[in-house]
Amino acid sequence: MTVPPTTPPDDVPGGSVYGPAAEEATELFQIYEPPDGAELAAARGKSISSVGSVEVLKVEDLTVGFPTEDGLVRAVRGVSYSLHEREVLGIVGESGSGKSVSSMAVMGLLPKGARITGDISFRGTNILSMSKQEQRSLRGRKIAMIFQDPMTAMNPVYTVGFQLAEAVLSHEVMSKKAAMARAEEMLNLVGIPQPKERLNSYPHEFSGGMRQRAMIAMAVINNPDVIIADEPTTALDVTVQAQILEKLIEVKDAFNAAIVLITHDLGVVAGMAHRTLVMYAGRPVELGKTEDVFYSPRMPYTAGLLGSIPSAGETGRLRPITGAPPSLINLPDGCPFSPRCPLATDICRTVEPELAPTDAPDHLGACHHWDRLAAAPDPTAFFRTESEARR
Amino acid sequence: MSTEEKAAAAASAANGNGNGNGNGTAAQGLSIVARTQGQLVRRRFFRHRGAMISLTILVLVILLAYTSIGFAGIPGWWIWNYYTPGKVVNRGAPTLSLWPTFLGGDGFAIGEHPFGQDDLGRDYFALTMRGAQISILIAFVVGIVGTLIGVIIGALAGYYRGWVESGLMRFTDVMITIPILVIAAVLGQKFGGAGPLVLAIVIGLVLWTGLARLIRGEFLSLREKEFVEAARALGAKPTRIIFRHILPNTVGVITVAATLLIANAILLETALSFLGFGVRAPDTSLGLLVSTYQNAFATRPWLFWWPGLFIITIALTVNFIGDGLRDAFDPRQNRVRA
Amino acid sequence: MAPFIIRRLFISFFVLLGATFIVYVLVASAGDPRNALLESTDPGKANKIAAMTRNLSLDVPIIPRYFAWLGGALGCLIGKCDLGNTASGAPVSGGLAVAMGSTLRLVVFALVIAIVVGVSIGMITALRQYSGLDYSVTFLAFLFFSLPVFWIAVLMKQFLAIKFNDWLKAPSIPPWVIVVTAVVAGLIAAGVVGGDRRRRLAAFGGASVAVALLMIYFAVTDWFAEPRIGPVAMIAMSAITAVAATALFAGFRSRIVLYATLVTAVVGVICYFALDSILADPTTLLVVGLLVLALIVGAGIGAAMGGLYRSQAVKACMLTAFGCGGLIFASQLLAALPAYSAKVNGVVVATIGATTPNFSGNFWETTLDQLGHLLLPTIAIVLISIAAYTRYTRSSMLEVMNADYIRTARAKGLTERTVVVRHGFRNALIPITTIVALDVGGLIGGAIITETVFGWSGMGKYFNDALKIPDPNAVMGFFLVTGTAIVLFNMIADITYGFLDPRIRLS
Ligand SMILES: Nc1ncnc2c1ncn2[C@@H]1O[C@H](COP(=O)(O)OP(=O)(O)OP(=O)(O)O)[C@@H](O)[C@H]1O
Ligand code: SF4
Ligand SMILES: [Mg+2]
Repeated sequence: MTVPPTTPPDDVPGGSVYGPAAEEATELFQIYEPPDGAELAAARGKSISSVGSVEVLKVEDLTVGFPTEDGLVRAVRGVSYSLHEREVLGIVGESGSGKSVSSMAVMGLLPKGARITGDISFRGTNILSMSKQEQRSLRGRKIAMIFQDPMTAMNPVYTVGFQLAEAVLSHEVMSKKAAMARAEEMLNLVGIPQPKERLNSYPHEFSGGMRQRAMIAMAVINNPDVIIADEPTTALDVTVQAQILEKLIEVKDAFNAAIVLITHDLGVVAGMAHRTLVMYAGRPVELGKTEDVFYSPRMPYTAGLLGSIPSAGETGRLRPITGAPPSLINLPDGCPFSPRCPLATDICRTVEPELAPTDAPDHLGACHHWDRLAAAPDPTAFFRTESEARR
Repeated sequence: MSTEEKAAAAASAANGNGNGNGNGTAAQGLSIVARTQGQLVRRRFFRHRGAMISLTILVLVILLAYTSIGFAGIPGWWIWNYYTPGKVVNRGAPTLSLWPTFLGGDGFAIGEHPFGQDDLGRDYFALTMRGAQISILIAFVVGIVGTLIGVIIGALAGYYRGWVESGLMRFTDVMITIPILVIAAVLGQKFGGAGPLVLAIVIGLVLWTGLARLIRGEFLSLREKEFVEAARALGAKPTRIIFRHILPNTVGVITVAATLLIANAILLETALSFLGFGVRAPDTSLGLLVSTYQNAFATRPWLFWWPGLFIITIALTVNFIGDGLRDAFDPRQNRVRA
Repeated sequence: MAPFIIRRLFISFFVLLGATFIVYVLVASAGDPRNALLESTDPGKANKIAAMTRNLSLDVPIIPRYFAWLGGALGCLIGKCDLGNTASGAPVSGGLAVAMGSTLRLVVFALVIAIVVGVSIGMITALRQYSGLDYSVTFLAFLFFSLPVFWIAVLMKQFLAIKFNDWLKAPSIPPWVIVVTAVVAGLIAAGVVGGDRRRRLAAFGGASVAVALLMIYFAVTDWFAEPRIGPVAMIAMSAITAVAATALFAGFRSRIVLYATLVTAVVGVICYFALDSILADPTTLLVVGLLVLALIVGAGIGAAMGGLYRSQAVKACMLTAFGCGGLIFASQLLAALPAYSAKVNGVVVATIGATTPNFSGNFWETTLDQLGHLLLPTIAIVLISIAAYTRYTRSSMLEVMNADYIRTARAKGLTERTVVVRHGFRNALIPITTIVALDVGGLIGGAIITETVFGWSGMGKYFNDALKIPDPNAVMGFFLVTGTAIVLFNMIADITYGFLDPRIRLS
């Protein structure tokens, strides 16, 4: 990761320190957020069904460590969240922040050596204390997963139809023919033309977008309650991404499933997720309603992240957060973000902040100085100017 | 193929990341240490316990073989030589004793002829050492010659493509059709009388096929990489591209393949000598010693055990070193992914 | 597919042609076959030299001589093979055919064992990566890589043949052997089972106690003096076969497959009792016929009982039927052992040759004789090839098990057995098959040393003797066969690759 040159505030044309940056920030939000809250709700109402009150998935204080030659990699430290029926929870964070590892833990798919603690419950029963057999019968039937790279996620030597049917047959006793019929139905649902013929195609005969559709079909074929989508569109052509996401939402509504949506694309989260979880170095650092997290971040890292996205209106300069995430083996004392944080003070370097309610009870942040962000009219711009001032 | 590329990409990405830290102020507090590829490889190799033990043993065996009875006119420290017959003492039984007295043995003693004597009363330790010298010499020469030719042919075929490639590769196909042992035996029959070095060189001349295919494959994928494209766009000459840009990236593959070639060559030499197409008397090699005394096993087993033990030790250590090198250059198999 | 094969055939033909030229020139220039005669004091040596010159056309220069040979050899394409004469005047093709049959008998048997065992071990070690078992197998594989065949052959002759035959005359099992065997069996079982400490301890205890009891039973009843598979053993082993076949192909989630294999096993046990009279002195044809029948019956039972799991049931039942057939065969063989042993003076495991000279006996005795001679060379070949197969399989399986689609398969909630076999092994099979096919081609010519050590008069010995002379025609005969085999199996490797991997399946 290279650090592009940053311009000192004086170079910003337009005089005042906060002015231009604030303007830019507004433009930034325009690409994925309708300016008006009511409009936003209306748009949501069309595409995202209402959230139920029953909690389907609850993750509490999850930690995952991998013993390696160099020491224990503490990939996830204390992640907690809950997911309600039909809810979409977005998880964002830099590469290596533990998004995939935490969701693989939910699926029970971590390698044998992984050390897992905490609670993961599905509709009230703890998954981690289940037998292997019970865990297996949950996987794919109640909790399904869609992976990042559709090119490699399907077995090259079996037909798509076989791989879909297999998912059904592993949980239900039925004839192959019935399973194939169900597979065909699913392919049809996700919008693959001529599904009957396509059942007999091999994955390499599908385009990337079609494969990801097939993966979605595979995920919902058993009518799951939870779908974990780990960067479902990252490997795809930009033009296909929107279609796939639309399909995902459509399918989710058809099956009344909840979604954990992992992505790097803040735009996607902003448009789809009811709530958003931000992760940094294995820690959850901010959790709240999507509009709260995006409009009024209460953790400098989130603010930095929001400032680092390119936008249509911007003048071509990107503002990534300087520095690199810490090693997960030797974490710095105190807040893991402190080496990169413009607001860091001594307490940040000694005491690790807890994920605690900030200005709203359902908006959690892990920062000693969230109030300074709250005080700023535009936290994103505030973060940027602060970090440029530090240089 | 694609997974390899991915692994390579991941490795270089990791490197880039490590180096990138250097220029930001934020580097403090982070512990991602920038390591070069070479350092990483060395570190992984030194951590491979089997390979390190093997390397130590192999070096000791080589030292023992070449210093004990001397080589190429330089005298060694061992009292006997391998060619002068002597008086056979106690049926030529070994005098080496390692069993301590308190366990009912004779205590530690080397004695006159630690490995015993052969029928003619020659010191068997000296003979075994001579055999080891010749076998090691042949194995390394075969390894070097074979690797050189394999790399040259593979590189030319992989870089130039077109008729150069198809010509060279068809020739490689032709050579692969002839079983190694067959062609080596034929060459041994023809050149075996001319001494071990000549034998080693001619065998090396036919033992390059596997390596050539391997290197060609590497070249084919590397020549499409951006850095080669860039060098070509900048007008670099083909020789420069091959030697400065592509070859250094195949060092891992070449080193591992060369090591395994040496391990194969040791067994090939012993097999040839065993069949009578390799080293000829009065000189000797480990394979020839085993062959000569295989029928003495029931009566004088030491004549059979010692050379065999040295063959296995050498082949085994070289194989383990090869394995360590492979792990060091390509650690992908050791990684478990979530 | 057809154009592809034809193109490959065409190229292969010219590749082989080039290789024959190289080999011919090298052999012909390696030495003058008449040298040995020139130095002899044989009074008729002038005649013999003249005869050899004629047989090998030694008066013609090498290059024209090659083309003359090639002309004859090309006749093979139209069914008129003329591979010339050997130095002693016999036609090459005759001796070669005999040698080839002998080698194939040796190699095919060994190869099948090496592949089955090597691939299984490779798979297990891949699934138990970094376990004690994995490390031990890795070390053993490297050891076998590094063993000269001729050296291990001498040891085997001494300990597996001479000493073993002596022991068999008065078999007694000392207690320490029982203890060591039981512990080793326990360790292997614990390694294979894996899992947490309790699971491994249970496996260790179970396996070592079982093996110890079995050995004590052998010792007490003096089993080796008169080995046999009794009714109880037959029933137990058939049941085990049935369960194992079920575990391999279907698992126990649905009982249907288990019931089907158990029914097959019951049929097998009935045959064990019923076939005694038919199997008293059968012909080879009958035995093969019965085996085929067994497979058909197994398939039938599987198909009839399998229901929704029909295809798995058919496979599992066929395997069970095969296993039961093997048990019946083994029991008949063992029954014939005492009589055989008396006939050959206790040399049950032979060290040299393919059969006992002038031996005659019934079907079971001649089979025992052949097996006794096959044993050591087979072990030798198996030992050296098994290491390679284990390593190939392990690394290919490790690579595959790290693939994304394996993660997908797990995420679907498939059982671990399905993930490993259907998704893992099926993909690992692609490179393994290719490598094995290439290997098989080489093995036919690669048994040179094994054949020499064990006095097996096959292709290897034929080559060895011919090269000593050196007799170009005979060597070329050998090379034509081995080279063709290599080229052919190269092609087979490509074709099976295309067959196993739909991505490159050719239209
Ligand atoms: N099997 C493993 N052994 C050791 N470390 C691991 C293992 N799996 C993951 N990690 C480490 O855990 C950390 C978190 O990885 P994770 O895949 O969850 O990141 P991520 O947030 O999903 O990133 P990305 O956006 O790149 O997918 C990384 O530093 C990774 O190196
Ligand atoms: S706690 Fe301190 S260092 Fe961490 S994010 Fe908040 S201000 Fe920055
Ligand atoms: Mg990820």
